[in-house]
Amino acid sequence: MEKNIVCAEFKNLLGKDRVLSDKEELLCYSYDAAIKESMPDFVVFPLNAIEISAIVKICKKHNIPITGRGAGSGFSGGSVPIKGGTVVSFAKMNNVLELDEENMFVTVEPGIINGDLKNYLDEKGYFYPPDPASFEFCTIGGNVAECAGGPKAVKYGVTKNYVYKLEVITGDGEIINTGSKAIKDVAGYNLTQLLVGSEGTLGLFSKITLKFLSKPAYSNLLIVSFDDVNNGFTAALTLLKLNNRPSMLEFMDNSSINAVKNYFKSSLLDIKGDFLFIIEADGTLEEVNSSINLYKDILNKFSPILLFAAGNDAERSEIMNARKAISPSLRTFGDLKINNDIAVPINKIIEILTAIKNISDKYKVPIINFGHFGDGNIHVNIMLNKSDSEMVDRGEEAKYEVIKKTIELGGTISGEHGIGIIKKEFMKLKFDDYYINLMRNIKKSFDPDNILNPGKIFD
Amino acid sequence: MENILNTSLKSYENCVKCGKCLPACPSYNFNFNEFFSPRGRIRLIASEIKDELPLKISKFEKSMSACLLCGRCTDICPNGVKTGPLVIEEKFKLNKLKTDKFSIDNFVLKALKGNSKFLFSAGLRFSNILKFNNLNIPKPSGKSFILHNDLNFSVRNNITKNNSEDCYENISIKKNSYNINEEKTNENDENYTDINNQITSAKPQIKEEISKNNLIKVGYFSGCVFNNIYPEISKSTVSALNKNNISVFVPSSQSCCGLPHISSGDINSFKKLAINNALSFKNKKLDYIITSCASCSFSINKLYPLYFCAEEKNEAKEKDRLEILNFSKKLIDIWNFFNILKKKGIKIKQGNLDKKLDVVFHIPCHLKNSADFIPFSKNEQLIGEAGSIIDNINGLNLKPLKHNYCCGNGGMFNIRHYSMSKEITKKKFSEIKEAIKETDKNKETTKETTNQETAAQVILTSCSGCILSLKDQKNILENDKKIPVKHLIEIYDKSIKY
Repeated sequence: MEKNIVCAEFKNLLGKDRVLSDKEELLCYSYDAAIKESMPDFVVFPLNAIEISAIVKICKKHNIPITGRGAGSGFSGGSVPIKGGTVVSFAKMNNVLELDEENMFVTVEPGIINGDLKNYLDEKGYFYPPDPASFEFCTIGGNVAECAGGPKAVKYGVTKNYVYKLEVITGDGEIINTGSKAIKDVAGYNLTQLLVGSEGTLGLFSKITLKFLSKPAYSNLLIVSFDDVNNGFTAALTLLKLNNRPSMLEFMDNSSINAVKNYFKSSLLDIKGDFLFIIEADGTLEEVNSSINLYKDILNKFSPILLFAAGNDAERSEIMNARKAISPSLRTFGDLKINNDIAVPINKIIEILTAIKNISDKYKVPIINFGHFGDGNIHVNIMLNKSDSEMVDRGEEAKYEVIKKTIELGGTISGEHGIGIIKKEFMKLKFDDYYINLMRNIKKSFDPDNILNPGKIFD
Repeated sequence: MENILNTSLKSYENCVKCGKCLPACPSYNFNFNEFFSPRGRIRLIASEIKDELPLKISKFEKSMSACLLCGRCTDICPNGVKTGPLVIEEKFKLNKLKTDKFSIDNFVLKALKGNSKFLFSAGLRFSNILKFNNLNIPKPSGKSFILHNDLNFSVRNNITKNNSEDCYENISIKKNSYNINEEKTNENDENYTDINNQITSAKPQIKEEISKNNLIKVGYFSGCVFNNIYPEISKSTVSALNKNNISVFVPSSQSCCGLPHISSGDINSFKKLAINNALSFKNKKLDYIITSCASCSFSINKLYPLYFCAEEKNEAKEKDRLEILNFSKKLIDIWNFFNILKKKGIKIKQGNLDKKLDVVFHIPCHLKNSADFIPFSKNEQLIGEAGSIIDNINGLNLKPLKHNYCCGNGGMFNIRHYSMSKEITKKKFSEIKEAIKETDKNKETTKETTNQETAAQVILTSCSGCILSLKDQKNILENDKKIPVKHLIEIYDKSIKY
């Protein structure tokens, strides 16, 4: 590859301000929120599908890898250019293109921040539910590429449930349009859903059409904890069977309760117990009040040690702050976090947590668990000390065992972060060769030269 | 004791590269290039410290010098990464490497350091002639506020009921009306005449009333911009305090807070200025030292303790250091001060405006509420501590700004990266225009179109840098219209009477 020639072609296409090639600038695009780093050769900032198509064609001609990037906030290394090449930053493509209020669809450019879209819709009385923890800074393009989830998934589903139409540039540089605004659309293969969660390996999005909902008028929070893990578990499963199930059902096991207890001093909440839930109900004021009362009645039957409904906004934010305090509180356990986002069928949650406890004891590494009970998605955080290489090795082994157990229980190796480079090694635990080859062949149809995010998901 | 500066300078190790700081950063939002993001800077700094990758100095400096030191990234960082001090440290290192070339920003810095009014205005005039980078540097609106003597503004001297309409009259720059303390206070601090005594000698009949009110004595830290460019803001601050029965002492030896210097990596000058400022207010028996500039309070409240955290072995130096910490503790911004009065149950005067005034309040990045601040009113919820004064002015109608973007000033950033700075200002004005448009819309629907009620709209703020930046509206509004920019204290002062 003649770097200078490629660079000149990019600059000719986009102007010199939208092409970066100095190593100081490239360094700032060599990472995401996962641990691995790799330098790109160029960073380009397209503004529309035609420019993206031209970029892909230049890369195809010179056989250069292309890695899409939104905010670079992913946990799986999806936006890290591990084979070098071109990083396509969507940061400048951050507009709302169309608000279709009659059909309740919004069409956006991929670089728009999830939280900005939420606010835009909120002002108009609408609601886009998927809410990954990073919603204030992650982009919709990245959300679609990784199929981001979030606490509200228990009632509202995840990103894939909202994506109806995509404008995509394939590895040939062709612009395709998938899906439609018709709610029922079974014409041909469902390429829209194939592209959601494809981690930038099948195409680059230039337009994304999302379904939105009407905003619930009101919501309230309930916090409940149990000494007896089994009681807590049964209580939560009962809530999930309700017709008006919670819009959020977050849990903390005793390891994370202890972590937060030391870190987060609250006058309102005496965080205690072995199994704690933060529960949200939303709807009209009447619906919320009746749901909260119903949840309380049910939970009371399982002898909780703490049961508390927020009375006002200040108390609601106090409860949410306790939830948000988990991540920073983990630092006290170590400076290196191996963050796994496994998911299991909800009836296996206790089983996997017990197994994790044993693995933690066996390898002598602290493992802190919390996450989204309602969809079985658990954040398993193995906390290590960077400087202790022997401990880091033990942590890696512990991680392997956690994942093996997860698959045994019918679960999956990633609930919301994606495979990227971080979990690639576990693909063979989950899928056989035939299945992986099938996926490779799908990629070949979209990207014959293997230039779109090569080395992600599988080699 | 833990050295908080060293901890800050190690905090780059805590960065997990989550990217939460990106949307918060004004320089990243300028063109969405991560080279200008806090996360990018931290990565560059880590690389520089670990010496992993030979970096081109000029390129490296480009990223560092585009940091506005607004502190927004540090505020939201869940892992306590202190980008500000880290960037300052890098600038300090870079300064050492640079040959001493003449540049306009160095010239301005030198002018500020000397606190020589001549150099200061010469610097401004000079930059006006050069139009360096097309930079619009404002002309001083009057004589410096602080002249060659210490000033004592005692309560209720020179009150004439007739001209209470224009409060500036009371403290116009005339020696008599200032009641300047002619005694050479600098020679011997112990000889400093107490403000109470001053009042006693000036107006004995008021003494009783004041002692009943338990007179509060404060110092006033003007800061270089409110001293040299907008002296009327200093006057308004002192006048508003006086009208609330507060005596004000203004030492003439005070200088710039040092923020422009430290934001250019000139830590040595910053420290010298800090010592000078602390000593200027030493032994004056002041209850508080007040500033009406958010950037000065940021510099003195947040940066002084950081850069003077290490104990000095030299006894004299240690004494100075303790004096600086003491000064830093005593200094509060004007809104925090009014809120303390409120907490103590001391009533603040209610102001009245002749005409209704629609305003927006730009919250300076450096105006941070104290940790235990609990808003009581809607205005306080919207803009923090400054909101309590808005409650106290009848006729002032606050229009909230949706995003509260940065104004784009950032100290020397505005001089080094003028075009970038103005793009950030443009973004600020987009939300200001939106807020004003909504006001107009409401007016149309309620048909309040009489001249009386369509009073001028004003941008209010509380920081010298923000005022400089927001007043520079060239090519920002259509048809070269201008929106007036004022310090909130000016409006408050005008609205209250003795």
